[in-house]
Amino acid sequence: MDLQSGTVVASFYFLSSYSVTPCDFIDLTLSKTQRKTPTVIHKHYQIHRIRHFYMRKVKYTQQNYHDRLTQILADFPKLDDIHPFYADLMNVLYDKDHYKLALGQINIAKNLIDNVAKDYVRLMKYGDSLYRCKQLKRAALGRMCTIIKRQKQSLEYLEQVRQHLSRLPSIDPNTRTLILCGYPNVGKSSFINKVTRADVEVQPYAFTTKSLFVGHMDYKYLRWQVVDTPGILDHPLEERNTIEMQAITALAHLRAAVLYIMDVSEQCGHSLEEQMELFKNIRPLFANKPLIIVANKCDVKRVEELSEENQKLFKDFEEEGISVIETSTLTEEGVMQVKTEACDKLLSYRVETKMKGKKVNDVLNRLHLAVPSKRDNKERPPFIPEGALLRRKAMEVDIPKRKLVKYWDLMNKNEKYDKIPEIWEGHNISDYIDPDIMKKLEELEKEEDLREKAGEYESDTESEDEEMQEIRELARKIRQKKKLKILESKEKDVHGPRMPRTVKKVEKKTLEKEMSSLGIDMEDKSNSHYADQARRSRSVTRKRKREASEAPASRTRSSSRPPRDVSGVRDAKMLKKVKQMMKNSQRDMNRMGKKGEADRHVFDLKPKHLLAGKRKSGTTDRR
Amino acid sequence: MRIEKCYFCSGPIYPGHGMMFVRNDCKIFRFCKSKCHKNFKKKRNPRKVRWTKAFRKSAGKELTVDNSLEFEKRRNVPVKYQRELWNKTVIAMKKVEEIKRKRQARFIMNRLKKGKQLEKEEDIIEVKKNIHLIRAPHAGKAKQLEDKMVQKLQEDVDMGEES
Repeated sequence: MDLQSGTVVASFYFLSSYSVTPCDFIDLTLSKTQRKTPTVIHKHYQIHRIRHFYMRKVKYTQQNYHDRLTQILADFPKLDDIHPFYADLMNVLYDKDHYKLALGQINIAKNLIDNVAKDYVRLMKYGDSLYRCKQLKRAALGRMCTIIKRQKQSLEYLEQVRQHLSRLPSIDPNTRTLILCGYPNVGKSSFINKVTRADVEVQPYAFTTKSLFVGHMDYKYLRWQVVDTPGILDHPLEERNTIEMQAITALAHLRAAVLYIMDVSEQCGHSLEEQMELFKNIRPLFANKPLIIVANKCDVKRVEELSEENQKLFKDFEEEGISVIETSTLTEEGVMQVKTEACDKLLSYRVETKMKGKKVNDVLNRLHLAVPSKRDNKERPPFIPEGALLRRKAMEVDIPKRKLVKYWDLMNKNEKYDKIPEIWEGHNISDYIDPDIMKKLEELEKEEDLREKAGEYESDTESEDEEMQEIRELARKIRQKKKLKILESKEKDVHGPRMPRTVKKVEKKTLEKEMSSLGIDMEDKSNSHYADQARRSRSVTRKRKREASEAPASRTRSSSRPPRDVSGVRDAKMLKKVKQMMKNSQRDMNRMGKKGEADRHVFDLKPKHLLAGKRKSGTTDRR
Repeated sequence: MRIEKCYFCSGPIYPGHGMMFVRNDCKIFRFCKSKCHKNFKKKRNPRKVRWTKAFRKSAGKELTVDNSLEFEKRRNVPVKYQRELWNKTVIAMKKVEEIKRKRQARFIMNRLKKGKQLEKEEDIIEVKKNIHLIRAPHAGKAKQLEDKMVQKLQEDVDMGEES
């Protein structure tokens, strides 16, 4: 925030970011201490930990107070650092001494709080129990809060100052300004309402306007400020009240054009002589400022209608060089005239002062307006060639393309309107265009004939003789047989260790079938070896039968026990149903070729119909 | 209206299809579909991607040098329109296309002939090795022997008779 005299004073918006009421202040800080520092402590903790805990609280509170107070001190403007207009205004409104005193008190409070904290932290180092440390902390915080409580008045005053300060109008002391002054009720606020967008209260009682108001207007592409002041009464400076003093301050410090508004009709309650008196008294304030006298309320009474002496007074003004303009804010007569004249006067005055100053020379030295001087008196108008003019004319008319076709330069004129084919079966005809194409085609065809004669295009499926075909057929059969055998061996239900082939008994039927399929003659059984085996097995069973007449030593299987698949079955109907159920449950398994319920063998992990083929457009997520 | 060639797969780009990419060095790349475009963006070399014509030609799987292929090429100097020339061109084009197709087919067939040869040899080996799976080696041998014996006896008898 910079309030140096050279820069524009924006509104004091920053101050609205926080308020400084005292009781809030204490509550805020204490609750913050409670929230932001650790809260749990026991007396059996180590002493350094207890000390640290309480010291932290004291320091935290001190830090908070310090920060807040420093912020207050920094944010309130220093009267020496700001523009004298604002310094004076603040003095008028808030009393410079009181203001400085309040801020000074705050500063002292800040230092006191720091000292308190320092002392108590030093004492805490020697605290030997939780109770002592706690009491020290209580004392420290208590003292800090008392200090703040004592500043209550200062803080309240500063709060009020802050609120008022944020509502001050933003007057730029350096830009073009018009100040309106005069007795109360002469028509200053009406004037500003007419000229700018400001909406100042206009009432019949005196001192309706109690403070300065700003309005903005535009003239000659520039921004102008118009400052409306409260009315000034005619008594010496010392007796003036705050409201009048604001007007005086504005007049004193702002380098602006002054519009002294007079009420010709004396409706304000003061005679013309009184107004003249006031004017003479304030005259010193108007030194070095362009001045215009505005004779307001001329719709009620015009200057010509006045008495002779009064008219003479106005004439005196004009002789002195001060322009007098009659206006009426009611009928808006002369308002614009006043505005333009005041603005012009101020502008010329400002330019003059700038020219007298030193800075202008720097600018002037750098500017130079170059104007070409005539060589001779010859006239030199711009030259436009005829062709360009014609072409421009021609371009204005839109010629359709068809008309241009007649200018085309082809070999045969009658071919101009042909429709030319461009594409045939995916080929561009323009790629084949060649003046020698027929020649090349002939050569190609000749070549082709030669090739055909040489037998290149004959299909060669006949080169297979019968023997080769037979071999092919046999190979096919062999491959098929191989696959079948592999499948068979996979389907074998093998439990237990792999036994050599000789352990398993081969049945006569299968042997005969296989061998006959291989082409061997199995009719002649005389030389066969397997007949012996059959006989041998029969004798074994006969032997068994003889032993069966004696009672078997162990009852491994007695005939009185029914087999498991018919035990519990009452009749044939039920047996049928039972068998059906058995078959049903096995049906799915059998269909998949599974050995049993637990067989989860997948015969084909990568089925060809899902995985074969190229990855053309389509999904491959079902694999 | 022209039918362009796709930079990646060398397929035809009909009007209204595909995308065109212009690089900073003003080289134009046309693509027939997003598959080609995406492959290009992945910086794949079309000469190494097996399904493109560029690969097939560079790997010798298709006819590359042939007179019939010289007819269609992009000409930068346009020829002034003459009706008879255009008519002749259309006719010639069709004939050339026919011949081109025949030759391309022939080329591929020749390439596949080698496979047939290999197949034949494999069959022979197979039969030699595993004939015992469908035919026992001495299947008709007993009968043959018998017949031979009978024949021999017959001959002996004949011989005996004669003498």
